Parts: sequence; structure tokens; C-alpha cells
Amino acid sequence: MRPVYLVGAAVHPFGRQPEVSAAELGFRAVRTLVDELGVTPDQVDAGYAGSSYGGSLLAQRVFHRVGVSGQPVFTVENACASGGSAVHLGWQAVASGMASCVVAFGAENLTSLGGGTLPLTTADVEISQGVVMPATYAMRAQRYLHDHGAGVDDLSAVSVKNRRNGADNPRAHFQQAVDLERVSGSRPIADPLRLLHCCPSTDGAAAVLLCSEQVARDLGHPAVRMAASVVRSGRFHTQYRDMTWPGITAETSGAAYDMAGVGPLDLDVVELHDAFSIAELVHAEALGLAGRGGAAKAVRNGEFNREGRVAVNPSGGLLSRGHPVGATGVAQIAESYWQLTGQAGALQVPGASVALTHVTGGGIYGVDNGACSVHILVAD
Amino acid sequence: MDETTGSPAPDTTATAYASADVPAAQWTVGDDGLRLFTSRCTACDLRWFPTVDMCPSCASTVIAPDQAGPLGTAYASTVVRAGARGFRAPYVLSYVDVDGVRILTHVKSDSVLPPGTPVRLVAGEIGDPDVGTTSSYVAVVAQDAPVENAAGAKA
Repeated sequence: MRPVYLVGAAVHPFGRQPEVSAAELGFRAVRTLVDELGVTPDQVDAGYAGSSYGGSLLAQRVFHRVGVSGQPVFTVENACASGGSAVHLGWQAVASGMASCVVAFGAENLTSLGGGTLPLTTADVEISQGVVMPATYAMRAQRYLHDHGAGVDDLSAVSVKNRRNGADNPRAHFQQAVDLERVSGSRPIADPLRLLHCCPSTDGAAAVLLCSEQVARDLGHPAVRMAASVVRSGRFHTQYRDMTWPGITAETSGAAYDMAGVGPLDLDVVELHDAFSIAELVHAEALGLAGRGGAAKAVRNGEFNREGRVAVNPSGGLLSRGHPVGATGVAQIAESYWQLTGQAGALQVPGASVALTHVTGGGIYGVDNGACSVHILVAD
Repeated sequence: MDETTGSPAPDTTATAYASADVPAAQWTVGDDGLRLFTSRCTACDLRWFPTVDMCPSCASTVIAPDQAGPLGTAYASTVVRAGARGFRAPYVLSYVDVDGVRILTHVKSDSVLPPGTPVRLVAGEIGDPDVGTTSSYVAVVAQDAPVENAAGAKA
């Protein structure tokens, strides 16, 4: 495999845009990316789209509007890991030498689906019982608080941190800090989770360009090396399992650390899948950022703040940006690209040189999650 | 199918999932509660619910029919206050560990079950009565369900 570089990123601001289709959102992000980089259609060898609800041939519907047609393009569905999976397939193509320059994007319109929890349409023995994603995470939260002697304020502290970070992000759905009282006083959704422990339904899109070392030099834009790109599926079984330990995250990140030759202590920036406040705690532990039961204390002590020992969700996370399912994984990589190239503005983590991004999701029975994707970016 | 053996009706609008390619939950009801039909892989000994005809862990096709229940233990639970279509919130859900399998089930309760709460599986109806309910396994706190009442748990 040869090294793969990330040389540009674009995010169409996240928020409620019910009148703008996923294809239009994706087009806006991809158009911004290719305009800023000055990439011509003939330079693009392949294209990848990640989306859960964007419909058939989303990739074609976006790429042909920027002159990329005829080349191989693919639309990837992997629930919350759809965007990370699209980037991974682009990484595979460049790493293997099949392609020298690819564009990957994620796009999603969720608010046009109506309000409330995301519809889980898969025929499934748990969905038939009326489960919704907040309920699944609520049960993980109840068990985590029980096993580790933590309290609801420990969950709320995650929301407070990430909303404070998001207040500085012009691309975030929510750009307003909230205090502990506001979080703990918000509407109950699935005990012990309240509204502000949950990410909002959001529309948005993000795009990145991956290429070989030669193309990166030719384009002449700031480049970071994609030192690891990994996707894993959930291990299926219906026995007892420890739901406070997302094994899929541990397994995917373990493979990524091995590939990149770095460990959790080397990370400056982590954008992880905080779809719910409890998710930041359990995934931070599975990523090795804290010991078992230690993430709550790390958040309370400010260790995950932007100026802490490792900045966790310095962009505001899903709790602030929102979670346009397929776009999230690509947006995390875009935010991390800006961090490592010193272009993150008010979000900048000083001296950041190694970043990890993590998306995981898919509510089906018998697995932690359906799919997980981890990327590690390094500024050499 | 005799009267004490159940699975969700395939045409139930609220919760239909039992299409030909999806394993459907099945159970039987006795005097002391409800037992789920499960599978045990004779090669690797893992337990499966709903039943399988090939082990998803080791791919063996030598599968023994088994049952789980009626007694189990709550692993974690929640009161759902923003629920799925076809259900009327609030409702209580719990993961329940029962004879080697973990299931997600409704609980006949107004509040969450602390982890470790002993429960009994019984037959009941789930779903929004205005949209249509369907028969299912449901959990009740074991001390609230004396054996003599366990089969007829439509409270």
C-alpha cells in the first residue's frame, strides 16, 4: 500500500434545511471543495458518497453536476458509519494504486423525514419491540452509571463541554453554549437521557479529497497523511454482553492504531461519535482515552477540553454539529484536517499534529453497532 | 399452532417484521409464564434468539432446539418518553438475560427496573391500542407475578 494524503475539505453548514435535498447538499459541499482546490473533472479517478436516506445513485446525482461522469462512482450505506465508509473506500482505491485522486462526500437530509426519533425501518426483533436509538443509549447509560457509580451530571457534563466547543463552530447546528441546569432541566426522552443529552436531527454535507503523494504535491495545498483507515462490522451474537464496552469501537480503533503506528497517548484531537452524551464516555474508554469508568472523571476534570490533555470533540461533536447520518464521518475528517493544517480558527487546538475520527452506528439486534469507522490523520 | 404458542401476526401494522427471510420470535406459554424458543449450536454451544438454522458464530448447521425462561434478570432498562411509531409513550423497555440469551422486551411497569431485578416473562400485548397491538413476550417484576397468575398476565 502507498501513502494516502488528504488535501482539502469542505462542509456545507449543518442545520435545519428541510427544503434542500441530500443531493443538493452534497453538490454544494463537493462544488466548494473542487472550486477551492482547482481540481478539474479529468483529475478525479473515482467518487464515493455516504448516505443512509439519500436514495439511489446519490453519487451520480452529485458528481455529474461537477463534470465527473463516466468515472466509477459509488453510493455507500453503513448507517452512522456511511460517511466514514465512503472515505475508507476512497482510501483503499488510492492506497492500492487503483486511483490517484478521489473525492468522497457524505450528505443527508433528515428534517424532511419529520420530527422525533430516526425511523428504524429494518425488520428486526428489537425494532418490533418499539426500540429507538435514544432508548438503546439510555439503557447503556443506566448500566454505566450503575456499574461505575457515576451520576446524571456526568452525562450532562459531556453536553456542556461539547456545546461550549460548538459555540465557536460556524458549521454547527447548535452554536450556543448551555449550562448544567439547562441540560438537566431539558425534556426527558428516555430515562436517564434528556433532550440535551441527544444530538439533533440535522441536514448537511461534507466532502474531502484524497490522493497520492504526487498529486498532493501537484495540487500544492496543505496536506495531511491518512495514516489509518479502518471499517469493521459489529460481531453478531445474542448471548449476554457488556453494553458499557463497545467492542466494535475497541476493535476498529485497535486496528487503526496498529496501522498508523500510534497509540491513544499520541492523539491531540479526537472527533468521536457522541450521538448521545453517554456515547462519548463509553467510546472514549474503548478508544483508550481513559480507563474503564474513567471517562466521566476525565470530562469533569477538563482533560477532554480543547486545552486539555486530548481535545475530544473540539468542533462540538454530534451534540453541537448535529448528526446528518452519512455526512457526520466526513465532517469529522474535515474538522480534523483543518486542525492539523492550522486552519481551525476559533476551534484550533494549538500544535495539533495527530487526530483520530470515529463514527459508529446502526441499531440492529445482536451487535454493539452495525458498522464502525476510524481514521487517523497525521501532519508529518 | 396451538393456542398457547405465539408469534406476532405478520399483518400487524404496528410491529410487522415476520417476513419470510427474517427470523421471527416464537414462544410458548405455560402455567408459570412464557418460554422463548431458542437455538443452541451443538458445535460451539452458543444460544440464539430468535432461532437460527445455521450458527452465526461458527456456521455449524447442527442446531438443537432449546427454550429460555420464564425467569430472567434485568440487565438495563429505560422509560421511553419519545417512542417509535406504533407505540404510545411512555413505555418501559428492558434488556433481560434469560437462560443464556439477552432479549429486549417491554416491561409491565411504570418505572425503570434497577439492573439485576429478577423478572418473569409472560404473554402480553404491546403497541398503541389506537393503531393496533400485537402479542408479545413481556417482562413483569418476578415478585409481582406469582406463579399461579403468570400465564394470564393481561393486567
